[in-house]
Amino acid sequence: MYVKGQYNHLIVRNLKELGVESKLLPPSVPLEQLESIKPDALVMGGGPQSVRSPNQLTGELADAARLIRQVDLPMLCICVTHQLLATAFGGVTEAARKPEFGPVEISVIEEGRILEGLKPSFTAWESHNDEVVKAPEGFHVLAKSNNCAIEAMRHDSRPIFGVQFHPEVSHTVKGVDLFKNFLHIVEEHKQT
Amino acid sequence: MGKRLSVAIQGFHPSSFLSEETARLRELAQDKKVISAVSGGVDSTVATLVAREALGDKLLPIMIDTGFLRAGEPERVKERLAISPTSLKVRLVHASGRFLASIKGKGTAEEKREKFRETFYQVLKEEAEREGCQYILQGTIAPDWIETQGGIKTQHNILEQVGIDPASTYGFKIIEPLADLYKDQVRTLGRHLNLPSELSERQPFPGPGLLVRCIGNVTKEKIRVLKEATKIVETSLAPFNYEQYFAAVIESKFAKDLSLETVSETASEALGLPKSEVHADVFEDRVTGVKGDQRCYGLLAGVKLSEESRETYGWLQDRLRHLQAGIVEKFPDITRVAMLVKERRGGRPLSILVRAVSTRDFMTAAASPVPWKILKDIGQQVLKEQSVSRVYYDITPKPPGTIEFE
Repeated sequence: MYVKGQYNHLIVRNLKELGVESKLLPPSVPLEQLESIKPDALVMGGGPQSVRSPNQLTGELADAARLIRQVDLPMLCICVTHQLLATAFGGVTEAARKPEFGPVEISVIEEGRILEGLKPSFTAWESHNDEVVKAPEGFHVLAKSNNCAIEAMRHDSRPIFGVQFHPEVSHTVKGVDLFKNFLHIVEEHKQT
Repeated sequence: MGKRLSVAIQGFHPSSFLSEETARLRELAQDKKVISAVSGGVDSTVATLVAREALGDKLLPIMIDTGFLRAGEPERVKERLAISPTSLKVRLVHASGRFLASIKGKGTAEEKREKFRETFYQVLKEEAEREGCQYILQGTIAPDWIETQGGIKTQHNILEQVGIDPASTYGFKIIEPLADLYKDQVRTLGRHLNLPSELSERQPFPGPGLLVRCIGNVTKEKIRVLKEATKIVETSLAPFNYEQYFAAVIESKFAKDLSLETVSETASEALGLPKSEVHADVFEDRVTGVKGDQRCYGLLAGVKLSEESRETYGWLQDRLRHLQAGIVEKFPDITRVAMLVKERRGGRPLSILVRAVSTRDFMTAAASPVPWKILKDIGQQVLKEQSVSRVYYDITPKPPGTIEFE
């Protein structure tokens, strides 16, 4: 989903390089149209907007929040849509006490499938002014950094994941592992 | 998806790209003449070679001398492209006076970029009229329009994506054969087209050239000093294989805002050094950055360590990372941090910034760990210029910086 972030295009590039057909769509796409292309999964990118006031979402984020609630597919939400995922399920996003830009050391608390092979820690690149300060009920936290307590989270039973960092940029060297893990999860989900 | 997943990394296939794109170009041009705007950089050279495969000698390469190219560059590029295997006959269009006049009195990065773009397309329009061309071909690649569309910076070669219709505004249509590719893919395509490595691996040079490396107001003296510094930096750093390395010039004028007085303190804390060893200045002129996917036209902090601390601790990469992150986290208006390499007292008006980065696709970038001795040598040479007082090295990654300064 294209949420106007510069790196959204790099998600498509990563997936293409992994041999997966992927399409960049705006989150305003009508549900019927989305269903008509029969997607296996949804990846939502980052963007310049803020979700600090979840009741006043506009534009792409309002549409993306609608998709998060309505679509029942494996989902990977990155940066601002990670924050949106948190607030959509009842968590809290606020201005970060210490925003993060560029390289950040991510400590893995629990691999939770999506971070498989990434323990104990890895370097990821970030660019955010806000952060999730409270994960929603039904989610648990998979990773943290020195500045940010919730760098990654997953839903307890559904294949829904959020990451604050950017796995799609080339400087997050192990980002491609995260996409591979996600594709394995998608594959398994299809078979059930 | 399962079957495709088991296939190894698929990547980008230059031969299929080439056959699809040349077919599309033939269809589009319908045997009419097409002007190709070249700069000598890898993007426009590869785009021109792709188009020549399709259009043969209906393709007319021209190069506009904007006055913001490196010393001697227009002639050098023309000569280089004329020989095999590129064998392109490039016509030079001299327009440096017009460009300088158009940006006179424009101080901010976006004003300068917009004026540059206007003049650039005005010149192309005149050339198109002269040749009776309906199409202009250019080497736009993916990050150009992604950044312009995202409001990070106005790339000089982007019109349609920001709502300017070239056909009604300038009377020609634009062809961009590489618009969906990233830099590394363009280089792969260049190698596939037998481009010699000195061209296919050439470091990028921005369309508006030295204009965007001349921070703030543009004067002839600033451009002259910048051309000299560019020569020194490019020669010194060429052996190191950084993806991009260059010099920029900024006036040695510093902000006197009280809220910035604690920057020195933050810097000494981040470095773990006593306050007496560390001093930070914040430049008055603003530079471009990107924070949280948003353009941030912010301030540049220049950090000076005492001679001894600098020699002992000043170049430890982890400390530099803490220094940069510590300042940018704490001061929302500061986007970039540079380390003082060398200075000379006596009220000289200009500072030179050295930048070198490693990057795959130019969407993110890390400041390269240039050996301290090399930087000192650069500093020594640059300070021979009478109007330069300080030489800095930019330690900011992208984000929160960008690769270029404006």
